Amino acid sequence: MANWVLKGLRTGVKSSAYPNRPDDAPGVSPGRPMGTRLKSPTAADELVARCPTQAIARENGGIAIDQGRCIHCSRCRRHVGEAAAWEPGYEWAAQTSDAATALRKLAGMFGRSLHVRFVDAGACGACMSEARQINNPYYNMHRLGFFITPSPRSADILLVAGPVSDAMRLPLRKTYDAMPTPKRVVAVGACAASGGVFGPSFAALGGAAEIIPVDVVVPGCPPPPLAILHGLLVAVERKPPSALVSAAPRPTTGSA
Amino acid sequence: MSTTQFLLAFFILCAAGAILPFLTPQRWLTILLAAIGSLAALVVLVVSAMLLAFGAEFHVTLWPVLTLGTLTLETDPLSAFFLFVTALVFLPVSIFSGTYLTKYLTHHDVRYFSLLYHALFASIVLVLIAGDVISFLVAWELMSIASYLLVNYEFERAESSRAGYVMLAMSEGGTIAVAIAFIMIAGATGGFGFSELRSVAPTVTDALRWAIFLLSFFGFAVKAGLIPFNSWLPLAHPVAPTNVSALLSAVIVNLGIYGIVRVNLDLAPTTGAAPGLIVLVIGSLSALIGILYATIQGEMKRLLAHSTIENMGIVAAGIGAAMVFVASGHQVVGAIALIAALYHLANHSVYKALLFIGTGAVEAGTGTRDLDRLGGIIHGMPWTSAFFLIGVLSIAALPPFNGFVSEWLTLQTMLRSAVLSSTVIKTIFAICGALLALTAGLAITCFVKVFAMGFLGMSRSQAAAEAREAHVGTRTSLALLAVLCVLLGVLPTYVIPVIDRAVVPLAHESATAALVPPFFTANAQQPENLPAPFLSEFHDLGAQVGREFLPGRGLVVLHRGEERNPVVFAMSTSYMLVALAGILVLIFVAFRLLTRYRGLARAAAWDGGLRHLSPGLTYTATGFSNPVRVIFAALLHPAADEGSTEAVAVHFRTAIRREYTEVHIIDRFVVQPPITILRNLAEVARRMHVGHVNAYAAYVLLALLLVLIVGVGLL
Amino acid sequence: MAMLDRIDDDAAGAASFPELCRSRWRGEVVATLDEAQRACRVECGPAHLRDLCQWLTRDLDFAFATLVVEQTPPTGWSLLYAFYKDAKSPWVHVELKLDAAVSAVPSIADLFHGPSFDWHEREVEDLFGLHFEGHPRLGEFILHEDWPEGVNPMRRDFDARKRFEPRAMEPKWEPPTIVTAPGAFAMPIGPVFSDFAESAHFLLESVGEDVIRTIPRFFYKYRGVEKIAEGQPADRALLLAERFSGIAAFAHGLAFCQAVEAICGIKPPPRAQALRTVFAELERLRSHAAAITGICNSTALAVATSQAALIEESLLRLSCEITGHRYLFGSVVPGGMACDLSAMDCRHLTDAVFGIAQELRSLLQMLRYSSSFLDRLEEVGIVTEDKARSYGLVGPIARASGVARDIRKLFPYAAYGSVDLSVPVEQEGDGYARLRVLFAEAEQSAAIIGGVLSSLTEGAVRADHVRLRAGAALMAVEAPLGAAFHWLRLDDDGKVIRYRVTPPSFTNWHGFHLAAENFAFQDFPIILASFGLSNAECDR
Repeated sequence: MANWVLKGLRTGVKSSAYPNRPDDAPGVSPGRPMGTRLKSPTAADELVARCPTQAIARENGGIAIDQGRCIHCSRCRRHVGEAAAWEPGYEWAAQTSDAATALRKLAGMFGRSLHVRFVDAGACGACMSEARQINNPYYNMHRLGFFITPSPRSADILLVAGPVSDAMRLPLRKTYDAMPTPKRVVAVGACAASGGVFGPSFAALGGAAEIIPVDVVVPGCPPPPLAILHGLLVAVERKPPSALVSAAPRPTTGSA
Repeated sequence: MSTTQFLLAFFILCAAGAILPFLTPQRWLTILLAAIGSLAALVVLVVSAMLLAFGAEFHVTLWPVLTLGTLTLETDPLSAFFLFVTALVFLPVSIFSGTYLTKYLTHHDVRYFSLLYHALFASIVLVLIAGDVISFLVAWELMSIASYLLVNYEFERAESSRAGYVMLAMSEGGTIAVAIAFIMIAGATGGFGFSELRSVAPTVTDALRWAIFLLSFFGFAVKAGLIPFNSWLPLAHPVAPTNVSALLSAVIVNLGIYGIVRVNLDLAPTTGAAPGLIVLVIGSLSALIGILYATIQGEMKRLLAHSTIENMGIVAAGIGAAMVFVASGHQVVGAIALIAALYHLANHSVYKALLFIGTGAVEAGTGTRDLDRLGGIIHGMPWTSAFFLIGVLSIAALPPFNGFVSEWLTLQTMLRSAVLSSTVIKTIFAICGALLALTAGLAITCFVKVFAMGFLGMSRSQAAAEAREAHVGTRTSLALLAVLCVLLGVLPTYVIPVIDRAVVPLAHESATAALVPPFFTANAQQPENLPAPFLSEFHDLGAQVGREFLPGRGLVVLHRGEERNPVVFAMSTSYMLVALAGILVLIFVAFRLLTRYRGLARAAAWDGGLRHLSPGLTYTATGFSNPVRVIFAALLHPAADEGSTEAVAVHFRTAIRREYTEVHIIDRFVVQPPITILRNLAEVARRMHVGHVNAYAAYVLLALLLVLIVGVGLL
Repeated sequence: MAMLDRIDDDAAGAASFPELCRSRWRGEVVATLDEAQRACRVECGPAHLRDLCQWLTRDLDFAFATLVVEQTPPTGWSLLYAFYKDAKSPWVHVELKLDAAVSAVPSIADLFHGPSFDWHEREVEDLFGLHFEGHPRLGEFILHEDWPEGVNPMRRDFDARKRFEPRAMEPKWEPPTIVTAPGAFAMPIGPVFSDFAESAHFLLESVGEDVIRTIPRFFYKYRGVEKIAEGQPADRALLLAERFSGIAAFAHGLAFCQAVEAICGIKPPPRAQALRTVFAELERLRSHAAAITGICNSTALAVATSQAALIEESLLRLSCEITGHRYLFGSVVPGGMACDLSAMDCRHLTDAVFGIAQELRSLLQMLRYSSSFLDRLEEVGIVTEDKARSYGLVGPIARASGVARDIRKLFPYAAYGSVDLSVPVEQEGDGYARLRVLFAEAEQSAAIIGGVLSSLTEGAVRADHVRLRAGAALMAVEAPLGAAFHWLRLDDDGKVIRYRVTPPSFTNWHGFHLAAENFAFQDFPIILASFGLSNAECDR
């Protein structure tokens, strides 16, 4: 008979230090582009043209990144000309609902114990794989008070991934309606935020916000597990949110 | 009025109930039957209450028969108890018949039904008040015939005729065995009155005693529906009209138990533990086999029929235990066992009648009794569902209903086998106790299936979706029985002393007098033989709480192993009811308080995001009980019949068919082998019939020669 | 027509195949050899399609790869049935050209190995509106019940960019149950079910314990990838090819790039080929670790699940360290690789993969001695070999049922030609066999990575000029879940005219019901996990 208990004990504690301390182990996050000041005037136009999902916009002599559209294709980073700057990190979740007080209500009641229901609305599998990782020993979401529930009837938070394919409109809507209030929706991934590579088309709606009210968006393609954890923590106001648009930094000359 | 006058009034009422329908117009027939039947039942209730609880007596000598003796009618507390239970069932069934029989007015003759109904009632009462062998047997035959005619009321249907035929044939076979047993006892005395039989019983030889026991037990076991003679029960119940089914299960099978108790504990008490053990083992096996087959049935009446076999098995197990204890000298424990058995009998009558009447109401409201096509009828039939639920909770032996009390007492008596000395006997008791426990578990499965699949969930057919609530008359009878279930469950300490009166002549000891500690009795009937340290310990358990105002404080069973440390098992269903009610009230109040500031939303069940959840996507009753079929497949031996059809190619299947057929285990092992042997013998004997006159002439000659040889030899 | 006996391998060599064709079907078909594609084009008419396909599958033992339907201007159809066998035989592309007057094609779904063709025809009927005569189960396959009749998205006149609004008001959907038994019912699972599960719907017809029949319903995640790729430049379509199934992104991206390279005559440099091999095996290793995690999770063996999950996460972090993305997105481009590995990266990769292989070995050893775990997997979810061949199953599932086909061995691509590869095959076809195949392939992937990295040559990782031109190509790769077939047709500007993907999950989901039937309800999640298939990949 295999002695699983000993094996587990010998493996030791692998949990990440996040959210108490930042986790900087290599490979936890692919990083993402950030708003950059560019020197050459044509660089901005080149980068805007290179981005396949129109995530880059000209701004202030540089580029701003709409993180909800970025799919981490790295074409802006690997550009032969002036490339976009790249930021490491994983705290990417942004609030999209203006009901900040509503979020506080959820936090007050269930801030330390939440049930999460995941719905795959046409996702490619990478977002679901990352979401599944938050249950593994490295990230261990149970220590933060998050639990996965198979039924929306006992769920507080709905995690949605995917651009909402045609056939998943009704099941997603039914899942949202089956959750008792108060409830929050966290859209995971670029597809759920803006449609991603698939975009609005005849077969996909182009984001979860088209069909259900979304409170928190976790951009990324796919967002790493730590970003998803950050998203859950933002949903219960245990962490401050990030911005969805990474603006180009202002020139440092002149007064602040 | 004296008891004699009451009984005379009863028989006159029955005669009126038999004859008057032929003089009344059709539209009053069912009301007439209900009225006279109920009145007759009330009369019997009063009489039996007088006999049982108030110590009245009844003895009537009728006319003499030839030189054998005189016919007498007399009662003792045992028959009074059975009379009470019979009337307790006849009352609501008569009320129910008032509305149920209207469906027979068009194509059948309800006048004959009324005739047979009252004839049956009268013959049952006659069986119970018979004081000698001949009147007993005559009444028994009348009862058998009346019940056969009632069961076969819809004789134009083939399965009804067949079921009735099987029932009659088996019943007559049992009657013959019983008659032979009675003749054996009577032959030893010379007279045939019960009192004479009682006096001669101790002088009977061992072999004769065994013969009497076996014949009478197996003869009455046919009527009681114990294995291996239970084949008629599941056949008869579905084809009989529902009120007759209720009577079958709740009254007529009781007569089999009455016969067993009367002969083997009263008239010719058995000696030695072996007969009691036989009864115990057969009872336990009946219980298990009965509930096993009940769990896999999909048709409500057949399910309830198998459940009757189960409950009669439990009663028989109690009686067997009582016989063993009494024969081993432990009279008090034997008295407890007998009380448990009789209590269970009464409880079973009440809740089985309730369930059968409920089935009748369901059938009237939806048109079907098939659990796979019912479902969701609680919406259309709320009252019926509520009463049916009480019946289900009672038969599943859940507190604080009556089934729990008698089941608890029966299992306690199994545990009391610790007082016996023989290890073999104790092992048998342990095994039978385990079988009874398994039975209890399966019973819960079975009746959860009945209620959940039949009444809750989604309606699986149009008929179920449009279920109509039952008529007021039906609901009255259901309510009456439901109240009885609750009362019998919550007030056992008032019921048991009454049953004890019936048990004392049989066990020769009073359990209540010997066992109940002072603070559980209302009167000062103190048992002085309880040790003092025990009394004080018991005091500390809090057994005194609320004894001033709570009714019926509790049931206690004592194990007097050692004088110093007697072991007490106590439970109080009345306390349980109070506690349950208190908890429910607390929950209700808490719920109201907590939801005052929150909304309450009602929505359909979560279906995984489907567009539309249809009833075909929910569990069926057969699906619910299929795991039991799979686990017990070795016993049930289902034969699968499978097939599939394809279109175009083998991977485009268009239909898959799968049917399971089961032959009852008793039929396979007990009924069919003798039939097969007989058939084979007949095949062999058939060869004698060659068809030539010469051969037959030769047979005659041979027979004549044989007679001459034998006759000469004897001379 | 007289039936030929089975021809053994040597006779059907690449060069002599057209001869064989012509001698067998004189006059009725036109067979030409396409050297560049290593394929033999057999043009025939609808009248001979059935017999030709029957001859290829039953007599010559070819396997079916994919059915590509293209609309030829102005109103015609071109159907391409692609068959393959082994390294010695060419691919056989049976081409059927129809004009607008013909709107029905004879169905081949009832022939020998009919289940291989079944779903392809249903997909074409739903998306193109082309009817297949004799197929008993057309309709409502990809497009669900509220999609109106007569509107076919893959047709050229359908605008993919806009939402298609007109829907059936009250669409009726009755569960297509076929079991008649007393008390039979269908247990619905999904589309939203379990903790983390892809959206798909299963109806388990049963009488209570045994599942008599499984009716799966997929394409809840249909995003129309093939349609929205049309008209896109190749580098944009590459993103679609990568990301329609994120967990096999590298393999599908590689297939797409290889198709572009085949069309445009580009040869990636050897270092690029070697790195492609390394990353493909890295992805396979991670995918198998995820599948093992799923199997342990389904049997609720918590410690084993955690151990396997640790391995999967360390592989994800490793991928991110060396390519910048945890799922290897954006690593492969037409002409080579988008990123290179330094010597330190190579050493780190080799050491890490070696360590992971050791952990996998010890995990397998422990699992072998967990009898309660094996009880749930052994003799559960059995797929027999002849059924696996008949349904054309591919990948580790097929190899666990005795079908020893692996594209890396049959048609070596990237650097597989110089890799010592042995294909692990098991015979039982149950869950335990599939688990053993996963472990064996994972072990082998680690060995291949170590071997290729140790013999890595210096050089460029990207070809110099990548000039796109018109053409078409069919490429096969061994994705982690099995053989994937990508067909690509480009126009002169390098834009995609037609992109057809037949992923391994599409083929294997069709065979899933074989494993799930006649087992208990409780085994269903375990059988589901032991298959380890992806709905995103199947639905596209």
